[in-house]
Amino acid sequence: MIIPRGGAARGDWRLPPQPAESIDRSAPVRFRWNGTTYGGFAGDTIASALAASGVRVFSRSLKYHRPRGILTADGDDPNCLVQVDDEPNVRAGHRLVRPGMAVRAQGVWPTLQVDVKALNQVVGRFLGPGFYYKTFIAPRQLWPTYERVIRRFSPGGPVPPAPPTGRYDQRVVHRDVLVVGGGPAGMAAAVGAAGGGASVLLVDEQHALGGHLRWADGSDRTRLAELRRAVAEATSIEVMTDAVVTGRYDGHWVSVLQRSVPGVVERLVKVRTQQIVVAAGLIERPYVVAGNDLPGVMLSTAVRRLINLYAVRPGARAVVLTANGEGDAAARDLDRAGVDVARVVDPRRGEDIVSIRGRGRVEAVELSDRSTVTCDLVVTATGWTAPLSLLTMSGARAAYDPVAARFFATGLPDDVLAAGGVAGAGDLDAIVEQAGAAGRESAARATAAAGRSPVAVPGLAAGAHPALFTGRTDGMVDLAEDVSAKDLKAAVAEGYNSLELVKRYTTVTMGPTQGRLEAVNAIAVVAAATGGSIAETGTTTGRPPYAPVSLGALAGRNYQPVRHSPMHAWHVAHGARPLVAGLWIRPDHYGDPAAEVRTVRSAVGIIDVTPLGKFELTGTDVPRLLELLYVNRWQKLAVGSVRYGVMCTEDGVVLDDGVTGRLAPARYLLTCTSSGAGAVEDWIALWLQTEHPDWDVRVVPVTDAYASINVAGPRSRELVSRLVEDIDLAPDAFSYMQVRTGRVAGFDDCIVWRIGFTGELSFELHVPAGHGQEVWDRLLTAGADLGVGPFGIEAQRILRLEKGHLVVGQDTDGLTQGFSAGLDWAIKLDKAEFLGQPELRWQHERGDDRQLVGLQPVDGAVLPPESSQILDGGSDGGHIAGRITSSRMSPTLGRSICLGFVSARLARPGTVVTVRLPDGRSVPAAVMPQLAHVDPDGERLRG
Amino acid sequence: MSRLPRYSAVGLLRRGVTGRRWPVVWRHRDLEPSYDVIVIGGGVHGLATAYSLAKNHGITRVAVLERAYLGSGGSGRNTAIIRSNYLTPEGVRFYDRSLKLYETLAQDLNYNVMFSQRGHLTLAHTDAALRTMRWRAEVNKLERIDSEVIGPADIAGLVPELDVSSHPRYPVLGGLFHPPGGIIRHDAVVWGYARAADALGVALHQQTEVTGIDVEAGRVRGVRTNRGSITAPVVVNCTAGWSSLVCDLAGVAVPITTYPLQAAVTEPVRPFLHTVVVSGTLHVYVSQTDRGELVFGAATDPYPSYSTRGTLEFTESVAAHVLELMPSLAPLRVLRQWAGLCDMTPDFSPIMGRTPVEGFLVDIGWGTYGFKAAPVAGETMAELIATDRVPKLIRAFDLDRFADGRLVGERGAAAVGH
Amino acid sequence: MITCPWCGSRDTSEFAYAGEGNPRPDPATASPEAWRRYLYVRRNPDGWTTELWRHRIGCGTYLRLERHRTTDEVRLARAVGGDPA
Repeated sequence: MIIPRGGAARGDWRLPPQPAESIDRSAPVRFRWNGTTYGGFAGDTIASALAASGVRVFSRSLKYHRPRGILTADGDDPNCLVQVDDEPNVRAGHRLVRPGMAVRAQGVWPTLQVDVKALNQVVGRFLGPGFYYKTFIAPRQLWPTYERVIRRFSPGGPVPPAPPTGRYDQRVVHRDVLVVGGGPAGMAAAVGAAGGGASVLLVDEQHALGGHLRWADGSDRTRLAELRRAVAEATSIEVMTDAVVTGRYDGHWVSVLQRSVPGVVERLVKVRTQQIVVAAGLIERPYVVAGNDLPGVMLSTAVRRLINLYAVRPGARAVVLTANGEGDAAARDLDRAGVDVARVVDPRRGEDIVSIRGRGRVEAVELSDRSTVTCDLVVTATGWTAPLSLLTMSGARAAYDPVAARFFATGLPDDVLAAGGVAGAGDLDAIVEQAGAAGRESAARATAAAGRSPVAVPGLAAGAHPALFTGRTDGMVDLAEDVSAKDLKAAVAEGYNSLELVKRYTTVTMGPTQGRLEAVNAIAVVAAATGGSIAETGTTTGRPPYAPVSLGALAGRNYQPVRHSPMHAWHVAHGARPLVAGLWIRPDHYGDPAAEVRTVRSAVGIIDVTPLGKFELTGTDVPRLLELLYVNRWQKLAVGSVRYGVMCTEDGVVLDDGVTGRLAPARYLLTCTSSGAGAVEDWIALWLQTEHPDWDVRVVPVTDAYASINVAGPRSRELVSRLVEDIDLAPDAFSYMQVRTGRVAGFDDCIVWRIGFTGELSFELHVPAGHGQEVWDRLLTAGADLGVGPFGIEAQRILRLEKGHLVVGQDTDGLTQGFSAGLDWAIKLDKAEFLGQPELRWQHERGDDRQLVGLQPVDGAVLPPESSQILDGGSDGGHIAGRITSSRMSPTLGRSICLGFVSARLARPGTVVTVRLPDGRSVPAAVMPQLAHVDPDGERLRG
Repeated sequence: MSRLPRYSAVGLLRRGVTGRRWPVVWRHRDLEPSYDVIVIGGGVHGLATAYSLAKNHGITRVAVLERAYLGSGGSGRNTAIIRSNYLTPEGVRFYDRSLKLYETLAQDLNYNVMFSQRGHLTLAHTDAALRTMRWRAEVNKLERIDSEVIGPADIAGLVPELDVSSHPRYPVLGGLFHPPGGIIRHDAVVWGYARAADALGVALHQQTEVTGIDVEAGRVRGVRTNRGSITAPVVVNCTAGWSSLVCDLAGVAVPITTYPLQAAVTEPVRPFLHTVVVSGTLHVYVSQTDRGELVFGAATDPYPSYSTRGTLEFTESVAAHVLELMPSLAPLRVLRQWAGLCDMTPDFSPIMGRTPVEGFLVDIGWGTYGFKAAPVAGETMAELIATDRVPKLIRAFDLDRFADGRLVGERGAAAVGH
Repeated sequence: MITCPWCGSRDTSEFAYAGEGNPRPDPATASPEAWRRYLYVRRNPDGWTTELWRHRIGCGTYLRLERHRTTDEVRLARAVGGDPA
């Protein structure tokens, strides 16, 4: 039969119905390939449907843009990566056709047939491995241009233009036994394990169970039906098809990527299992010989799949290189399908293919007996690679057996068994028997029946197979990466003479198949080139993921937790601009933070401070704990009193601050910053548990238990008194830095204290969280005549800055020790042991550290952005001597105010420092006598 | 001097025509009984140090001892990001010298290291992060380094795929843009340095593991290896991942904890990302190679370990965070994941220079920022060895700073560190 | 997996690493060098080592446990304040 030149031998290559076919001829499917419409059937893969229509070229190779056709006809086919609609890198040998699919070739320009980049073939002899390391070096300025050209040759499809419309999700599954692979061994193992009382998950990459039995001869197909039935009847076996095990991780986690889940694009199944039975079968290896990447060169399993599963005639006239039973069976299948089997070449009889010839496709084969045979199809069956990744990920080692010409896994740990072809050779009966026993043994181990005797799992012979990796001419080793045997040899000759160096230099095995098809051939070539044996040269160690996993599946539904206070909905409804503060969403302001500041200073404002870290401390030893944690004194804190405290870590660095109050003789409320609450809780627990387990202290985090509202302003006492029943708020009864408990808005168990972050008379209410909204509402209604208004975090920042209160983490950093933060007044070096004491003592002795000071730009209209640098030694550069840490326009003063660090010698009040603004200008600023810019003596606080 | 013919397009052409092979990139050498300098560690730091000793100071009786193959450690596992937008003046000056050396490295070594200065963008999602970006920008600018804080509109122009619209949880408030930053072909830097060092006479010994360090009367005498013992008056620890264990051999205690740092790469897609994008809050950074693969990195693992096994949590977490930034990437597939080991110090700065053992020097503590510093580390360590004076650029990184309480404050700039 | 004496065998993700648990010098009498050795110097060993962890997403107990620094296997976890009876 005459095969027209130029690629697509358009026509009908579909066979009459085949006994084992998985296509549904009653359901035709139309789809597009590079803009042209093609027809197939439900159950066709993209590759099989196109092959049935005579399409021979599916892609262009990475570097040389050589035309490529079907090689394996399954998901690992390196030549069949296509774009489907918006999805790049789809495996056409596995993905089933769907009506209306738009399939395109990737990385070609302008078209698959006429690819300009194929010019690379012309210059191929100059483009050896790593040629780009040897060139594009000079001139340096041209590198970005070279790079732009190189990027045009990237092989992938375009990134999707919009987020996906489909959903990805995850699922967690706990099973006694996981069986990986659903061929005859996998099915037998699953049935065996189920029979042994185990819950089983059976996972197979293909769309149906059966493995290689799906295209087997008649009697084997009967066994297939039996095994399928046994699996279906075992209720404790869950089956996942179109699912691939991608990794084994610490903690007995196994990840499975499952497709074909209704309503879901892809699902990541995380399996926790006691025992794994690996029945992953064998992967057929390509033969490395000149011309082995021409369209028309296929593996024997590809041909058997195409003919038996998809009823596709793979070619018109074939030469078959067969060194094993599968190859022999493929020759028989070809004959049955009406293909002219021109020659069977058998290495077991010493015969070999020398080279494969053709322009753009297979046209002829030169054989070892010097003859040349014309053909359009070359089928190779030269050996098998066991996919040992999951076994090696589990801790086994891979060892090479030269008689079997493949690697085996040894040293399996107790929770993994190997069954079927991956473990050894044997006929169907031997495999089913071995696998069934392995399944029963895994069940016994998983259910850990006491005093049980192990199930005898028969061994499988290693078998024998000719060692056929490369022929006598150089061919492609890694088709996806366009790395030939010649390239590997050249790399070794150039000195990259270990397998790892060769891999990195040539990128062999670094493509989409990640070594599954090509690693062993690569090892064989490198071994020969370095004069070592295959066993010495390299083993195949698996690393997850075994198969590529989408970002969507890994992210799953991608929940991002947030924390809201009970009054969150109110803030949103009243126009609050949200501020993300750690996990909390807080109200930044309600439209005009300067006005909010004025409301607080002149009337009364309320702010939701629920995220404040809060801990209830009870016990007789709480004072000792506070004495240890804080730099100041706490032993004499009376009931009803509140004190501000600063905590430092053992290097003297400021950790956190907050106020702590004594509510009752043995009951305290400790507060800290909202973002530091987790660290403070860890810190307190650490010291109590490691150094003072004998102390009578209990710590309960109550951040979420209380809604907290700060009522601040000259009219705050009036407002709070309208809600509080049993607490005397009069100035002499409830003075500054005091705490009371009582009823607020009719709710019991509330805490009220007078503190002064904002610098105004203020009361902070802590009410049980469920009542937070109601108390908030009541404050607003009760205070309407007082001019009450809500204020947010931004206004609070301005208010506290006016008062010179530092914010840990903003006005301190990871190196700010206590005496640098304006806390001299608080640090009592002479008290008994407290955390941070030694370093603080030494810092105090040095006396030369930078200082946190109040600063005001000389021109009050200039507002230096936070983190503007402070320079020492002139406005033209000079030494960095500090930075602005906080900076705002003060509505109260009508000018800019700042806090910042300056070196010790610049810290004297009145010193004028130079602030470098981001736009390059330098402006003078004066060091203030104290940190507070407004009401430095704190009279408004103590009213 | 150099015995190697130059790599060039003309050379490629000539050898393509004649079919003549290129000479070996580096030679296999026998282990001599003594050297002037022993460098432990055949990664970029060790190789750069050996190269600088030979090139800048004419010291060629140098042995680089590598226990596996060259570049098998951190040098072969990092995500190859080069930048100098650090936080402290000492850090900025140091890393900028390195960046400048990287800019001419391909020409200096006659090996294309493919340094792509495509710009480095660190996103700020909170006010605190924006303050830190501003701090870095200001310090950078004062050192005359190109860095600036840019707003969401400019960010959208640089990276159109980035979701800068108001995001409820991770709004993009701005970012630190550093045009000179970029990515490089990390293996090429290893091979380029190795080839050049070998050409200058340095002995590169692979598969050679140091099993002991001989110290006598407070000074180093030499090392023991699996291939025999060697003496030398100077021994430099240029390892990463195992530097504590090597220092133990010399009896030197160091403030290092080793954490795995994981990374992953996707299948290639057509190049669309022309900037390196980092998010500190989301603990993720992403770049795209010239082949089109996306490379992801994140923060170090949460607990110290010498394991380089990848974890599922890492890929799940990095995928979730990347999709927060660029949701249209969901169908892209992770092809491979790996991990390297990072020696973390308390102040996120390296430890370089002398130790209490005379003649035993260290170039360690490189955390997550070692690869970008290789050229300047090599240059300064070589200077220290050759002149016995500590170069100004590395004075702040001495081992004694911890005993003196003089930590360097780089924690805010080590992209996604602790 | 880590076996917490209170909670039983739990996934490692519930626990947080809390340091090497090295001996702490007396802060009242230690020299700056000794104190800073405690603050900064680390053993960072390979193989089996004792360290401090906390069952943070759980009972909150600080545990002293033995972990292999390369295989990440954990054995022998004891609550620092004493195991439950």
